[in-house]
Amino acid sequence: MQKANFFYPLFRPGLIFTEIAKGNAFSSPALAFMLPVLLILPPLFLWLGTGMFGWRLGSASPLYMENTVRLIISLSYFGALCIGFFGTVYIAQWMGSTYGVKKSSRAYFSLLTVVFFPITVASIAHIYPNGFFNVLILLPTLIWCMSLLYRGLPVALEIPPERGMLMSTSLVGWLLVGAVSILGISVGLWTVGIGPSIAV
Amino acid sequence: MSQSNQEIYHDAVVKRLIQFSVFWVIIAMGAGVYLAAEFIWPTIDFGQFWLSFGRLRPVHTNGIIFGFGVSALMATAFYSVQRTSHVPLFMPKLAWFCCYAWQLLVILGAISLLAGWTSSKEYAELEWPFDIAIAIIWVCFGVVFFGTIATRRIRPIYISNWFYGGLIIVIAMLHIVNNLAIPVTFGKSYSLYAGAQDAIVQWWYGHNAVGFLLTGGFLGMLYYFLPKHSEQPIWSYRLSVISFWAFTYSYIWAGPHHLHYNSIPEWVQSLGMVMSLILLAPSWATMINGIMTVSKAWQKLRVDPALKFIVLSLAFYGLATFEGPMMAIRSVNVVSHFTDWTIGHVHSGALGWNAMITYGTFYFLVPKLVGQPLHSIRLANIHFWLALSGTILYILSMWAGGVSQGLMWLSVDDYGQLSFSFREIMASMTSYYGLRLIAGLIFFIGTILMAWNLGMTMRGRNTVPVTPPPVPEKFRLDRKAGKDETTIAPGVPAA
Repeated sequence: MQKANFFYPLFRPGLIFTEIAKGNAFSSPALAFMLPVLLILPPLFLWLGTGMFGWRLGSASPLYMENTVRLIISLSYFGALCIGFFGTVYIAQWMGSTYGVKKSSRAYFSLLTVVFFPITVASIAHIYPNGFFNVLILLPTLIWCMSLLYRGLPVALEIPPERGMLMSTSLVGWLLVGAVSILGISVGLWTVGIGPSIAV
Repeated sequence: MSQSNQEIYHDAVVKRLIQFSVFWVIIAMGAGVYLAAEFIWPTIDFGQFWLSFGRLRPVHTNGIIFGFGVSALMATAFYSVQRTSHVPLFMPKLAWFCCYAWQLLVILGAISLLAGWTSSKEYAELEWPFDIAIAIIWVCFGVVFFGTIATRRIRPIYISNWFYGGLIIVIAMLHIVNNLAIPVTFGKSYSLYAGAQDAIVQWWYGHNAVGFLLTGGFLGMLYYFLPKHSEQPIWSYRLSVISFWAFTYSYIWAGPHHLHYNSIPEWVQSLGMVMSLILLAPSWATMINGIMTVSKAWQKLRVDPALKFIVLSLAFYGLATFEGPMMAIRSVNVVSHFTDWTIGHVHSGALGWNAMITYGTFYFLVPKLVGQPLHSIRLANIHFWLALSGTILYILSMWAGGVSQGLMWLSVDDYGQLSFSFREIMASMTSYYGLRLIAGLIFFIGTILMAWNLGMTMRGRNTVPVTPPPVPEKFRLDRKAGKDETTIAPGVPAA
């Protein structure tokens, strides 16, 4: 089969998981192009959104932040995503030895690129940074990503579905911990004055 | 030591406790869903005091903790202590007394809460007559449990019994000390403590009720049922013993993190924070031990939906035990406290850990008790996905809502005035509460499916008689000689 199309992760994930298993899905240059694009999209949308519409917490008027603060938040977001993505690849490889995976790093990178693809595209919701609007868009997308992980991991890494289920659950545990860490770190930064102004 | 062939394990009481536990989870979770709806439509209390949030909320929490949780813990403790001690229950009639007296207590307690009797202490709302009854039944529970261990025929005391034992001893201590009060009338008393002391004692109780009941007790469940279920020994028995002692030592200090920025000494707050962070180590040691144990039994997942619940419960246990210490850090707590983030955290533990480990255990245990396969494996699989999606939706909606809420509480304008009123903040939460209601309903529907599935499995069937198996000679405890015959070190697994 020819190399996977850039948008296959959205429309034909089943096919792409089989291709990852065969080592055909993404070439290294394709990954090198896709990954930075995907990782930069969410912070870019956030930066645009907070400038255009302001940060909306609910009923009140939008909160407009200074350009420097917006930039720091967006860069921190980008950093967190990079650490999160590469950390997940590393953790998945580490877990893989327990679950009997014998695949190269490229397979892990490709698998997780496909899994996270929908959420990075859906981060376009950040352009209108209303808290609930973003939750409404990102939550179903997140469930979609989880289903891709559970369905795709055993196929792409060529392990039995039962072992795949165990490994996927372990990764979900790791990702939830990662998500709550980002929350904690963000709140910690706000209390020291980086981010929205709060009376602490 | 000779072993009578007439002896059989007392499993009927285990089955009855499971039935009560399932009954309570339906009632209490139903109350929770109703409360979630009240946040969106406050008028659905129809002006009835007993349907108001203030009265229904403690029914929800007490029903889940004492009705569902304690019934499940009594059931699994009675089941596992017999098998790990190779003797039937000590004083089985007392075990039946514990079973029925506890249910009566929870029912009457729930009615008293609906009637407005409350000590106003969170998770210890029941008034003094109930507190005395709890203490008596709890001591009876301890007599049955420790009596069984004392009459055991095997030298080592298996790790699950250490956790169950810790649960019984520490909860008795916490309950009695925290509920010391001066009765004024039959339905009203006043705490023996005042002011900051009252707050410290209350959260010493409150946090350790979570610790030793909702964590320690359920770890006892995990350490017995995970190896039995996966047919694998614990990955590292030594790690389980170390984590037990580290857990027991560090948990008891962590309560003051509930009182950050409050009128208690700052060093007490800092101590609570530091001990909470230390607590991460034994918690994750247990999680890793569980995951590594189950990772050897992956083939069983093909035919066994119950194991999926246990696997998932470990993931949420890892999340909740990471999130808790993180929220105990004062700079995080300043935003997270008094927000729905805390509610999300509690439910990542209650739904993701406590409910899932219990559901997995019930799916495993009930067919064994009645000697019949589970009525519908397909239904159990559907339940699994409902439970997973309900929990994730609940947690994420409360994270998002909670952080937004925290920012709004702390937001001030250029003049230093609060930017948002209480009413505005609550109004902005409605959408998140809508998501929370959907999440709760999804989880609740799954629980109803389980109740029906287990009910159909048990329907019209008695428990299968099981006799204690002989104990291998090298592990045997010789009581007649007044000493044990074994040469093995304490702590070697028996199960």
